[in-house]
Amino acid sequence: MPAPIIKVEDLSKTFLSKERKKGAGRKKKPVHALKAVNLDVKDGEVFGLLGPNGAGKTTLIKILTTLLLPTSGTAWVNGYNITKEEDEVRASIGCMLMGDRGLYWKLTGRENLDYFGALYHVPKADRTKKIEELIALLKLGDFIDRTVETYSSGQRMIVAFAKSLVNDAPILFLDEPTVTMDVPTARELRRIVREMNDAGKTILYTTHLMHEAEELCDRVAIIDHGEIIALGTPEELKQSLGHEDVVSLEGIFPESTVVRLRAVPGIREVAVTAGDSGRSKLDVMVENSRAMLPRIIEAVTGNGATIEQIKPKEITLEDVFVAKTGRTLAVDTRVVGEKAVSGRGG
Amino acid sequence: MAAETVSKGFGLGRPGSRGSLGVIWSVFRARIKIITRYKGAVLLESIIPVVFAGLPILLGSAVAGSEQAAAANFFSYTGTTCPSALPSDCATLFRLYMLMGSNTFMIVSLMLWLIGYWVRREQETGTLEALYLAPAKRLYILAGVTSYTLVRSLLAFVTATVLGSIVFQVNPLSGLFGAAIAYLVLGIPALWGISFFFGALVMRIKEANSVIQLLQWVLAFAMGVYFPVTVFPLLLRWTAMAFPPTLMNDAIRSTLLGITSIYGPWYVVLGLMLMAAWTVPLLGYQFFGLVERRVRRDQGVGQF
Ligand SMILES: Nc1ncnc2c1ncn2[C@@H]1O[C@H](COP(=O)(O)OP(=O)(O)O)[C@@H](O)[C@H]1O
Ligand SMILES: [Mg+2]
Repeated sequence: MPAPIIKVEDLSKTFLSKERKKGAGRKKKPVHALKAVNLDVKDGEVFGLLGPNGAGKTTLIKILTTLLLPTSGTAWVNGYNITKEEDEVRASIGCMLMGDRGLYWKLTGRENLDYFGALYHVPKADRTKKIEELIALLKLGDFIDRTVETYSSGQRMIVAFAKSLVNDAPILFLDEPTVTMDVPTARELRRIVREMNDAGKTILYTTHLMHEAEELCDRVAIIDHGEIIALGTPEELKQSLGHEDVVSLEGIFPESTVVRLRAVPGIREVAVTAGDSGRSKLDVMVENSRAMLPRIIEAVTGNGATIEQIKPKEITLEDVFVAKTGRTLAVDTRVVGEKAVSGRGG
Repeated sequence: MAAETVSKGFGLGRPGSRGSLGVIWSVFRARIKIITRYKGAVLLESIIPVVFAGLPILLGSAVAGSEQAAAANFFSYTGTTCPSALPSDCATLFRLYMLMGSNTFMIVSLMLWLIGYWVRREQETGTLEALYLAPAKRLYILAGVTSYTLVRSLLAFVTATVLGSIVFQVNPLSGLFGAAIAYLVLGIPALWGISFFFGALVMRIKEANSVIQLLQWVLAFAMGVYFPVTVFPLLLRWTAMAFPPTLMNDAIRSTLLGITSIYGPWYVVLGLMLMAAWTVPLLGYQFFGLVERRVRRDQGVGQF
């Protein structure tokens, strides 16, 4: 087996940030963004990092791209150590880390690409050729010669994406690249990512959208609170749930519903996603949905609840996350403490 | 096709001198393009020191009754001897002293503040993070930026000197003009060094405006823009004299005006200037690297 192109070994990162709460004084509070993470990414795969907001995805990417130093542990990218051979690591990767940020607003898109190409030591002639290629590939022709300040956020996004390709690196790091894109643009970007991968590039792709991970990635690591809680191909991950089924209910449910459901024998886990105007969605994980359906309905009704829809659901990566954490991916775990915990019940 | 597309990445080997020069040039050119797209900035900048020099001249004349009296007061109070016996000559020298002081002050502050604003701006737009993602060496990026700050400050200096000479009716080309310019050039590496300190400070505290506003006054005071620092009490005076811009300012003025330097004979001045020219940049660069490492260990350079 060939050596992994990215190897992460016991990587931890603890941020110390000042508490600015009344009465907390000036104490520094540690945030454990990554807890002894181990990972191997194989040459030529699209590797997904799936987790809710605040899970530690960006922190991991920042460490792998040399922007941030780990508190402990280490990693290798393209065979180079991230703290000892920084320039080699940087030359091996193309990155899109902060959405549409990282462009000069007073320069045109083309000038931006040329500038960053030079910083990656791409010779002038190759640079010009590469930029033309990217303009054609990503259909930038309409706006590439205008200053970035005149772009829409979608246009800035796509130029930021082009920037990550300008040095033609063997490894691409994409941190939630579709987060502010509209649906067709996002789909187009994923198509191009696949194309890049077919051409041999290794891609590390983070997202909090399970459908992206499922559709795009060869292997997925599910990350939560700084820990990898599951890893495998999307198929393997879904199969790891064994014979579990998911029943999805939509409607208006009082808080006690969740408690009552959890008390029913045979129900493994219940996850709540809040919707608008008091509506919410309950994903109930059971061993056998057919057998359990009457009992679920029994537990929910007679409680002031209104069921608008009830249906058995195909297992997705989201359910894998639910099974492991009792939360859905939509929950923001950046708020450590009360909120994240209460995310369990609703 | 596939084999061609998957390169091993450009510049994985060490970039040659062409690549490194390319970095300096690209950074420099980008800065120049950006500033020229903000209309009028350079011109406005050049008017400021003329106003700055006008203040003490007018104020001095107002307090002393006439400009000649102001000049006489100035020279006797500061212990600098006016090299001419003619009061009107002394008045001209007084004006030139103020003008050169504020022009030099402008070079110094522009070179420092431009770095500060540069760091801060790149932090805010996320381009600082983008710079750190690239394999280009920090040294070359800084070289590109400092070339830009230098060009911009020198342009402003020349404009201000020309404008000021017309407004105040002084001839800066009299006296040892060439030697004064030589001191100016010799003072620049030390300014780079200090600007690295300053840039690092901004990167760390993520604020430029308030720091600049405060330091602007400290700098003006310490450099002795309107007076030789000999008027300070001893401790303050030594501190101010140890500050490279003070040395540069005094060297330029004393040479141009033909008055004695507060540092002593010309060879002492030259020696000190040479020493500052190579130690200060080294120290500043080291400091920048140190702060950068700390920032990467704590929050990362992208935090803003
Ligand atoms: N500079 C920082 N200082 C303090 N805490 C941070 C910093 N950056 C991230 N964190 C915290 O680390 C955790 C992981 O954040 P992040 O890696 O950005 O998550 P994700 O990208 O998965 O949304 C969060 O709890 C976040 O609040
Ligand atoms: Mg993130």
